[in-house]
Amino acid sequence: MSESDTKLSKRQTGIAGLDHATGGGLPSGQATLVLGQAAAGKTVLALQVLARAIERGEGGVFVTFEESPAQVQRDAASFRWGEQLLASDRWQLIDARPRFGSEAAGEFDIEGLLSIVGAAIGRTDASWIVFDGIDQLLQYQPDGHAAIDQVRRIDAHCEQHGWTVLLTGKATRDSLAPAHLEGIEFLLSATLVASAHMINQQLHRSLRIAKYRGSSHVADAMPMIIDDDGIQLPYHEAPSDGPALATGERLSTGIERLDKLLGGGIYRGSSLLVSGRPGTAKSTLAASFAAAAARRGERTLYVSFDEVEEPYVRNLASVGIDLGGPIKEGLIRFQNQSAYALRVTEHFLNLHRLLKDFDPQCLVIDPVSALLKASAGEEASMAIEHMIDVIRRRGITTVLTSLSGELDPEGEATQGQVSTIADSWIVLDYNVRAGERNRSLSIVKSRGSAHSNQQRELILSDQGIDLADVYEHGSEVLMGTARATREREDAAAARRRAREREQRRMDLEQRLEQTEREQRRLAAELQLEEEEFSETDRLERVHQERIKQRREPERDTPSAQEGKHEEPQS
Amino acid sequence: MTNPHPSGESSIPVLTLFVTGNAPRSQRARANLSTMLERMGRGEVQAYEIDLLKQPDQGLSHSVFATPSLLKTDDDGEVSVLYGDLSDGDRLRRFLSDLEAT
Repeated sequence: MSESDTKLSKRQTGIAGLDHATGGGLPSGQATLVLGQAAAGKTVLALQVLARAIERGEGGVFVTFEESPAQVQRDAASFRWGEQLLASDRWQLIDARPRFGSEAAGEFDIEGLLSIVGAAIGRTDASWIVFDGIDQLLQYQPDGHAAIDQVRRIDAHCEQHGWTVLLTGKATRDSLAPAHLEGIEFLLSATLVASAHMINQQLHRSLRIAKYRGSSHVADAMPMIIDDDGIQLPYHEAPSDGPALATGERLSTGIERLDKLLGGGIYRGSSLLVSGRPGTAKSTLAASFAAAAARRGERTLYVSFDEVEEPYVRNLASVGIDLGGPIKEGLIRFQNQSAYALRVTEHFLNLHRLLKDFDPQCLVIDPVSALLKASAGEEASMAIEHMIDVIRRRGITTVLTSLSGELDPEGEATQGQVSTIADSWIVLDYNVRAGERNRSLSIVKSRGSAHSNQQRELILSDQGIDLADVYEHGSEVLMGTARATREREDAAAARRRAREREQRRMDLEQRLEQTEREQRRLAAELQLEEEEFSETDRLERVHQERIKQRREPERDTPSAQEGKHEEPQS
Repeated sequence: MTNPHPSGESSIPVLTLFVTGNAPRSQRARANLSTMLERMGRGEVQAYEIDLLKQPDQGLSHSVFATPSLLKTDDDGEVSVLYGDLSDGDRLRRFLSDLEAT
């Protein structure tokens, strides 16, 4: 046997998440079992696979054993892809419901069914065949072994004729397998299990690939959504974009001094978490970021779980942030969502669609903690992790706000994984002092940037947000009036100290001047004295000469000779 | 599909046996049916036979997908089905009770 004979070939289902999780689809030319309890989405899955095949120009056969054809058509019509499916003549819907009140008097075969379906496949050139609710027919087999045999028979027929089949069957309460079909879940090459569970009054759907012989696949239960687009496995869709390129470009937060603290702004494509208690101006900061993006001509998707557009825009205008203009220009799309209206997986899916549709460069989710609130446990963290991944891949720069508890402003317990995933994290808080609440801002982390660890005061005015250098006093950080008072006091003290220094300088200069004067005076005195001494010396010498001359008049000195000549006349 | 009455009697229902070729269960059903009719004193009644391997469309129009299946059409058009190789004699007899010779 050559390799091409033995190699597993796969047929795409057209459900992106499922095709991705199975590495290309379900086994071609074989039967795949889809098990699940009532309303777990088995029929929808089968219809959707068919609808996608029809869209690709292929054909299909849908054999219903449980629902009436009218019901199947209504099912299909409730999805966006239903209309095209129902209008197409490339598929055949076969009503194979056992007659009401039917009985069995012995074992039966399924060859008749296969023959009928074979004829339909010939007519429609079908690539996918669905046996929906096969257990409804097989339950008439008096013997479980005979029922299992029929499934085996279908599988063998598929291999023989190259049919690609989806067999759906209802799981019972205690077992994956339908009654009469114990053990069926491991009979075929591939088995999918759809389930729906209530957790905290929310319906959580999932799809699991319980078995896929000869193929690697995602083994975990995959969160599943059924909405107007039908079944989706939001977290398992192949990423549409490659990993984002890291750029060194910095984007402004709209607050000049905050940009400085962050080393020039936040990196394009990175995420900034802004957490804080209610009223710490998280939304205002996020809006400032959006407004700054609009000034650069970039689009921002603003997803808000708390705010309604109109009053929010008005309130922001009062602090000098204009969102109304950019919203009108289509640069900002404000999307108000109710956290509780959807499960977190649906929120994720919604966001994904909005991103594809609006293709923004920047994103605000305000607050992301609403998603944690919307859904219990791991699902929320999973959704947020996937969300940040999608955002990163699209190279979108994101500001996430998060509400933290009154006693725990950094609120790691309530942030889920966000604080570890986000590239930068700013904590906003109040400082209460001397009867005032002053807003503060500190940067907890900022990946890839040198950043200031110093807390700052955040000031809201009609000019927008600004930061004030906090006033450090010993180990304390002062803000608001306390800061102003302290600043004034310290300024006065400084002025006083300056005056004192000036005085002292003047004193010393004065003394220096006096000393210099004294020096000059003494120098003059010294000179005078020296002049006096030299005159005295000269006179002394003259005097000595005279005395000598008087004592030795005849002394033969030139001067005495002359004197001698003169002497006789005197 | 019209169901002509073979004997011309208006009270006798029409029997149709759906088979797939000469599959063992189909053969057993044929034998079991004729044995039962014989036993009931209605050996002259012949069931129409439809082979779904040859006429798959007949399965569609009669909504019969399992073989063998015995289809009974009453005078007033009411249809009932008995699945299987008819090896359960009690059930078969009950199913055919309105053919019972009086």
